[in-house]
Formats: sequence, structure tokens, C-alpha cells
Amino acid sequence: MSKRKFSIVLISLVAVLILGALPISAQEPITVTWFVGLGTGTNAEQIAIQEQVVADFNAANPGINLELNIAASNETSRDLLSTLIASGNPPDIVGPVGVSGSNSFNDQWMTLDSLVEASGFDLSTFDPALVDLYRNDAGELTAIPFAVYPSVTFYNADLFDEAGLSYPPSEFGAPYVMPDGTEVPWNYDTVAEIAKILTVDANGNDATMDGFDPTAIEQFGLNFQWARVRLIWSYLQPASFYDAAANTITLPEEWHQATQWYWDRVWVDHTVPNSTYAASDLLQPSGFASGNLAMSIVPLWYTCCLDNSVGNFNWSIAPVPASFDGEQHVAMDADTFRLVKNANRSEEATAAAFTALSYLLTDAAATLGSAYGAFPALPAAQPVWFDSISARYPGEIDWTVAVDSLAYANPGPLHHESNVPNYTQTYERENALLSLIEGDTGATVDLEAELATFESDMNAIVSGGS
Amino acid sequence: MAAVNVNPHINTSPFFGAQLRKLAIGASVTLFATIILIAYLLPLGNMTTISLKSQQQLVGSTDTPILPMSAKVFVYEDKEYEVFQVPMQDGTVKPLALVRKGRQDSDFVDPDNPDAGLINWQGSWRTLEPSFVFEPHFENYPRAWELLDFPLLFKNTLVIALTGMIGTLVSSICVAYAFARFPIPGKNWLFLVLIGTIILPSQVTLIPTYAFFAKIGWTGTQLPLIVPHFFANAYNVFLLRQFFMTLPRELDEAALIDGAGPLRVLVSIIIPQAWPAIISVGMFHFIFAWNDYFGPLIYLLGEPQLQPISVGVQVFNFQYGPNPELIQATSLMAMVLPLLIFVFAQKIFMRGVVITGVEK
Amino acid sequence: MSPTNSAPGSASLEASASGRPKRSTLQQQQRTWGWIFLSPWIFGFFAFTALPIVASLIFTFTDFSLTSDQPINGVGLRNWQKLFSDPLTIHSLGVTLKFALIAVPIGILIPLGMAALLNSKYLWGKRLWRPLFYLPYMVPAISSVFIWQSFLNGQTGWLNRMLRNFGFANPPNWLQDETAIPIALVLIGTWGVGNAMLTMLATMQGVPTELYEAADVDGAGPLTKFRRITIPMISPVIFYNLVLSVIGLMQYFVIPYVITRGTGNPNQSAYFFNMHLYKTAFTFADMGYGSTLAWFIFIIALALTAALFATSRRWVYYASGD
Repeated sequence: MSKRKFSIVLISLVAVLILGALPISAQEPITVTWFVGLGTGTNAEQIAIQEQVVADFNAANPGINLELNIAASNETSRDLLSTLIASGNPPDIVGPVGVSGSNSFNDQWMTLDSLVEASGFDLSTFDPALVDLYRNDAGELTAIPFAVYPSVTFYNADLFDEAGLSYPPSEFGAPYVMPDGTEVPWNYDTVAEIAKILTVDANGNDATMDGFDPTAIEQFGLNFQWARVRLIWSYLQPASFYDAAANTITLPEEWHQATQWYWDRVWVDHTVPNSTYAASDLLQPSGFASGNLAMSIVPLWYTCCLDNSVGNFNWSIAPVPASFDGEQHVAMDADTFRLVKNANRSEEATAAAFTALSYLLTDAAATLGSAYGAFPALPAAQPVWFDSISARYPGEIDWTVAVDSLAYANPGPLHHESNVPNYTQTYERENALLSLIEGDTGATVDLEAELATFESDMNAIVSGGS
Repeated sequence: MAAVNVNPHINTSPFFGAQLRKLAIGASVTLFATIILIAYLLPLGNMTTISLKSQQQLVGSTDTPILPMSAKVFVYEDKEYEVFQVPMQDGTVKPLALVRKGRQDSDFVDPDNPDAGLINWQGSWRTLEPSFVFEPHFENYPRAWELLDFPLLFKNTLVIALTGMIGTLVSSICVAYAFARFPIPGKNWLFLVLIGTIILPSQVTLIPTYAFFAKIGWTGTQLPLIVPHFFANAYNVFLLRQFFMTLPRELDEAALIDGAGPLRVLVSIIIPQAWPAIISVGMFHFIFAWNDYFGPLIYLLGEPQLQPISVGVQVFNFQYGPNPELIQATSLMAMVLPLLIFVFAQKIFMRGVVITGVEK
Repeated sequence: MSPTNSAPGSASLEASASGRPKRSTLQQQQRTWGWIFLSPWIFGFFAFTALPIVASLIFTFTDFSLTSDQPINGVGLRNWQKLFSDPLTIHSLGVTLKFALIAVPIGILIPLGMAALLNSKYLWGKRLWRPLFYLPYMVPAISSVFIWQSFLNGQTGWLNRMLRNFGFANPPNWLQDETAIPIALVLIGTWGVGNAMLTMLATMQGVPTELYEAADVDGAGPLTKFRRITIPMISPVIFYNLVLSVIGLMQYFVIPYVITRGTGNPNQSAYFFNMHLYKTAFTFADMGYGSTLAWFIFIIALALTAALFATSRRWVYYASGD
């Protein structure tokens, strides 16, 4: 009977499939897992490079099997890591992970002092200030520096040419030359001014003209790509909003001003795209990378995502503009790899994990650094980085700006991702504020009232509302 | 239902008016259905045109062409320049290549007469209409197929879907049989508990379940996505039980009297009568597995070689950044197989579907 | 679906069994076999439902956190009290219930209308239509989100291009506008009605033709026939779909989660209860409170289902009720 035949075929097919699905177990060397997904490192080119690094490491260390785990999406990577940790199955190495991503798992990082000592890892080649960044309150080392991403101004040279504007200055402290020949300081007022000239509608009117149509914009002047609200505030004026002694959050006056400044750019000048424009096809794959946005103030990791520009438009980088206080302050992101605590891990396995960690931080630092667009903290890796980034972006890009920026970096307490209690919830609340400002309802919102609500919500979160 | 023609009430006298009226109604109902269907499937049209565009064709605003159109370019002194429709002073409109963009005036070159040199034009080039040529990018499909490793994703999805399907069929048939035919004490309450599990949000059980699978070392394998289906599922048991209840008891009782065991009754009497229901359950499970996203996402973390298509598409979206044309191409390819299966199994499937509704 | 509904069949069996005492050993044997056939579910129920659910009930009385090193402490009823003071719980429950008020009727009416259309005796080429209307149901949920995102794109999406051509100068930005996003989610939801449509269609085809013929004799128009015959005759399947749709909406998660990138924005207008649950448990790592939220929505879904069953006696018609 055909049905019986059908069942036999089906059952044998299934049997084969079940056998195929069973895990293959074999005697293997010590496995060290490396989880990628809390920060950069998840796009296809980066994965290929990371896989090569893993292969090279495994070839050189036969007793260790380094295994790469790439999270499936940035929405869920944090949740996946929590789940892995909670179920007693944490990865050994997590990274690249920034300050923000580390804060969410503050309890989970292994301190490295004894491992550094036992293995003789040389910390002295790093900038001591960078090493101190990773010491916890007790002075223990929670990570070793890997990469830094100073913020810079990315600008589209073609769009400046089309508008007949001169380029942003390439040195710290240098002025900007306006179209009428006057020299003005390179600050956020100047940026706001030229952003208007660089914002153009479908009729060719720019944002300074009367006939400008804000519903049909085809080119934008400015954005802070993928920035969180605390980063935007810190650009406009670095400050601290958390008082650890009192465990309270108070928005400094400058950040009220900064919020108003940003809102004016989105809703008065229309030089910064609102969320509708940002999501539209006009600004894909991302604002500046689309070629339809003239300036983006963003940390250097944005070099991850500008491959679209090659052959399409010319761009370069300039220092960040001066903040409200008239000084240039560089907000800097920093990534590293961290070891995760795991009570069930043998001492031998921990040593193997540290060996792999050291490899990523030193031997692979140049390769990984250029893949991530990260400027390596390890001095020896820096020349290699310059070569590879220049090969990737063959235009005339002034990379010395990135190096010069390091000297202007904000100190730790003013870091835009400094930790506060219940960090993840404050992170969400900050995102909600920014999306309110940029969203459709933002146009008519009472900013001061929203900031007051924000402040009280944030205080409820840090005081342990959960 | 097929007895319309022998209906004695039908007036058989020649009456063209009625025929014509029937034709008109048929045409308008069909037209109406066509309009509804087009509206319903419109997003697929949107998807198809996007899947044929290049990155360059995608970037744009409200007036970008719907079809994959490229701006016409002209090569002048070894560089490519876009061609625009430029209104000339004599009132004619000429296709000219834009060599230098400016706010007040721009320089063009005439593709028909490049040797004449640059033509200066006063006005904003943004107000000009670009010249377009139709240029679909069919290569997006093979590219997406390769980048995404579709054969592997299909294989993984089929492994998970088919083994799970067998599991849920075997177990659900047994359990439904128990509920339909056996005098188990407290059966009604057990059945209520079974139905109650439908209401349970899966988040309630997620963490303990995940921890359990991690403990026994099944995370990173497809087993957590397959094995639980070998323990029956409320929807399927419900559907099968409803169907078994409609089957006459006389046949199984006769078989029992002839000395057949309950297992034999199930295999040789119940199952042969229940094919439509069984195939429906199989297809429901198949579609479920085809769509399941969250389970594979957490259990197959870091095992790309085991991931099914739903996760594959999402991972692809994540790793290749915003490449809408490739994403849309993958979406289209992902629905072809279930659609084919449905078209072929339609008749049996429809018979099975009746059951879910017929009896309460 | 409730014990009272399924009672007649089993009651008659037990009555007949006890009416013939000589078969009591057979009945004993039958019971054993029943348990054997039931055993896969009993085992699965304990392993994958009962034990995890008890574990999560225990979590509701603790401060169990996914990312903390601290030992787990009992906190009594604190998590349960927090349900009523947490503004996000109230907000997200409101979003979910309000959305259900629009989405449930639409989720019944659209498949009902489609089924009626496909069941029309005047429709040409019936075979062809079914797979076409069923097709979107087979698009993986994640893919359908991507497809709709570009269809609903404020600038270049087809929907807004059409609206502009029809004279709406400023159509809404569906996914960025807090008043428009529920409508956008309902539109996306219409792609999930394939199954409801098929069950309704199949049941409609099973309605005895004599009923319609009798109505023809009485001179009833097509609308009257649909209201007086079709709807009552298929009311069980409408009820079945209604229950599933209410339960489904109480668990509504993947689509708004992917569309809003997990935020529920604009202005938390798409912050559904299960997103709050998921975020609390996994993103904020607060399993104790997360489990409490899961239990809370479970209780609400249970109450709604019970309420639906209570009303069903008034309008659901069982042909085989005898």
C-alpha cells in the first residue's frame, strides 16, 4: 500500500535526520569559548577576520581549542549572555565589549591580577592611564586595555564642495573659515550654522532659505550616528550627573541647554534628521555612509561601516568642535576582552582562557583592531593599524586627527558611559528620552517637563526601584 | 454539495437572462476577490521590487522610482557622470551629463557631443529630472543564496521540522487516543490541564527549561528543539481527539472482541481513518517549526552550522547590516518551499482543517 | 473544550462500562492502556511544564537575578506588590489590552470575510485562490516583519506612495508615529490570519446545502442567508479562533519586539506586556519580578478565556449538541 511505503520512507528519512542532529562528541583539548556580540565584531567581514584569528591561535596552541560564538542580533545579545550565565554555562571570553556593555555585567568579570602575575604578562607597554581605567574600586584589574575610539567629526568633502564651503579644520584649536572669509572658532555654534547650508530640500533650497521645505529634505547637515543621549550631552559639555555618595542623579544645567540645542537642530533647523528621516531609505545604510549627510560626530568605530563610501564619495575626519565652555573635549569609547567568572572552571582551563585572552590583546591586536576600526592601545600594533585602515579607505583621510584626539580625552569620572546602579535600566530610560526627542511627538514636546520626568525616573531606578 | 444539477427546483427552461446574470455576478465577485488579493499581497510586490534593486538604486526619497531603475550615466574623461533632463534656453529639454555640481550653477556635458566641452547651466541641479534606465539586479538572488548558505539552512530546518513532526505525531496520536477512547479516572480534569497549557506564556517556563537543557549538555544542539515534541502538544492532541471522537466506536469494539489489542486498534483502525487530521497536524507542526524563531535563537547560539532558516535570515540581517535588497530576496526564497508543499497537500490538508472547527 | 463540554461522550462510555459488570477486568485493562497511551504527555507535562512552572512560581518570591553573584534571597510578596506600583506594568498591560480591542475583532472579521468570499459559489477558479490567500501565513514571522517594514516605510514604502497618489499629502509614518503604530501592527497581523481563514472556509463548506435551499425557497437574500445560516453554523469555529486569538494577543511579542528593536518606542506606544516581561527577566536580569509578570499575564489570560467560555453558551451553536 502506498501509504505504508510512504511511512517507511518517512521513518527511515527521519532516523537518518535524527542521527545527523545528534551532537558529535570527541576527545578534545581544553575548549575556550569567545562570545562576540555586546559591541562590534558581528558583521560579515569582521567575522571572517575573527575566524582567521581563532584558526591561527588554535594552530599555535594545540592544547587549547578556542571557539567563536557570535550572537545572532544586537537586540538579543545581552539577553543571551545573561541566559548563558544564569544557566551556569557562561562563555570564557567576552569581547569586544565597551564600557557600557561591561556595566551591565559588572558582577561577572574576573579580576586578572593573579593571572597577569602568574603568566608574566607585560602591562608596562600600555599607557598607565588606560590601565587604570580598568581598575575597580578595590584597585583590582578587571581588564587589560585593547582599543580606544576617540570621537571625531566625519565630513563628506564632496558635499562641502558642492555647497562651496571650506572643510572643517584639521588641527585642534584651529579656526573655521566661513564662506565670507571670516575666521570663527570651530565650535557647536559654527557647526549649527554650516549644517544649515548643508541641509538641502528637493528644490535645491538649503535650510537658510525662506522657501526651504522641511518635509522634502534630500540632504542633511549633521548627526551623531547611533549616539545615546548621554554621549550627545557629553559632546556639548562633558559633565557628571551621578552623585555616588547620595546615590542621586541631577541633570547639570549644561545638559538642559544641550538638550535644547539638539532639539533645535532636529525641529527648528531640521539639520539633524528626525527618527522618520533617519529610518528612511535616504539615509541607508547609515546617515553619513549614505552620502546624503555632511557631518557626523561619532567615535572612530564608525570606520566599521563606511565601505559604502569607497568609490562613491570622498570623506575625511576633523577634530570634534569645542563644547559650550569653549574647549575641545573628546569623548572616547574603549573596548576590551574580558574573562567571565565561572566557579566550575578548573584552574587549568582558566589559565588556557587567559592564554587566549592575551593572544587577542597582543598578537591579534593589530588585525582585530583594524577589523573593528579600533585604534590599538598596544603601541606596537599602531603602525599596522594605520596601514590597514589606509588600505581599506584609500581616500585622502587625515588619520593624524585620531591620534591627536587622544590627548583631549575626557577623564574617567566624566565618561559618557560611567556606571550607575541598575545600569541597564538607566540605559533604556536614556534611549526612551532620545527617541522621544527625535520621534514625531518630539516636535511639540515640553522639553523641561520631559527632563524633569526623566530625572525623577532615573532617580527611582538608581535607588533600586526593582 | 455536488447535487446542484439534479435539484428539481431549478427552472430548466431556456433563460439566457439568468445565465447572463450569473456570468455578471461571477465576473464581479472574481474581480472583487482579485482586488482584495492584490491589496493583501501588495507587500510582496514591494518586497520583489526591492529585491531587484542595487544599493545605489535603494537610496532615495519619496520620488525614487518604484522599479529598479538606475540613473543613466555618461563616461566623460574616464569618470562616470549622471545624466539629467536639462531645460535649455531655447525651450527644448536635453539629456546632459552633470560634471560639476553647484548650488547656483552647474556644468554639464552633452553625451551626443562631448567634444563641445562643458556647458554652464544656471539654476539648482536638484530641480532637474534624472534620466533613468530599467536595470533589475537578478544577481541579488544568487548572492543572497550563497551568502546565507541556503542549502544548509534548508537542511537544518527540515531536520528540525521533520523529526519534530514525527515526534509530535506519534505522541499526540497516542495521547489523543487515550483521551478519546479510554476510561481514565479524572480524564476531564486532565484534559482541562492539557488545554490550559496553551494559555501558558512560554516565558514562564523559559529559564528553568533552558537551565535544564544546559545541565544535560543539550544547548548548542538541535535536541531541545526536537525532543520536547516527542511528548505531545496541546493543540495537536485537541485536534486529533476531536477527530477520533467522530469515528464510530463499533469498528474498534468489533476488533477488540476479535482479540486485537488497543495498539492494534490504533494502528489498523483509528489511524487509517484519520489521515486528514494526521496530515493537518503534521503540516501545522511543519509551519510552526518553519517559523519558530526564539527557540533556535537561544539554543543554537554560536552554532551557525545548525541554525534553521528563521534565525539564519535574522542573523543575515544583522551581519550584513542594512542590505534591504538581499534581505527581501532571502524572504522570498524562504517562503517558496512551504508554499509548494501547501499547494500539493492542499486537498488533504483542507479535509483535516475542517475538524478543528466542526466539533466545538 | 471544558470538562462539561466533553462530558457526554465519556460519560456514556463509563455508564455502559459500569452497566456491564462482567467486563470490569476489561475496564481495568482499558484503564491501564489509557495510562500507557497518556504517558508521553504526562511525562512531558511534568518535565517541560509543571516543574518549570513551579520553579518560576518559587522565583516570584525571590530576588533571583541572572547577572548577580549574590545568593538568592526570599523577598516574600514584594514582587507581587510591585506589580501594582510599577508604572510600566500598568502601561504595558494597557497597551496590550487596548491593542487587543482592535486586533481581536479584526482578526475574526478579516478571515471571516475572506472565507465567505472564497466560499462564494460565483467565484471562478476556486482552487487557485486558497494557496494565494494562505501564502502570507507561511512567510516566517521574521521575514514578514522585514517585508512589512519596507512596505510601511514613511517615504518609499508602497503604502504611503499610494496614499500620496490618492491625495493624502502627509500620510503617517506608520512605525514612527505613536498613533499609527497600532494600525501598522494590525496590518502586519492580517498576514497571520491564514489558519483562521482556512478553518472558517472549511467549516462553511460543511454547512448542509439544504439549509440554503430552504432559505432560497423563503426568498432570503445572500446577506440574510449569511447572517442567519452561515454565521450560526460556523459559530463553533469562530469561537475557537476567538479564544486562540485572545490567548495569542496576551502572548504578543516577536513582531513588536523586532519592529521597535526591543524598545517599544515611539514613546512606548508599542511596549506590550510580554516585552516588559522579557526585558525585566532577560535584559534587566530580574528573574524574580519577571516570573511574577509571567504569572500575572497567565492569570489574566486564564480569566479572559474563562469569560469567553461563559459567554459562549449564548451564541455558539453546536449542531451535534444532542
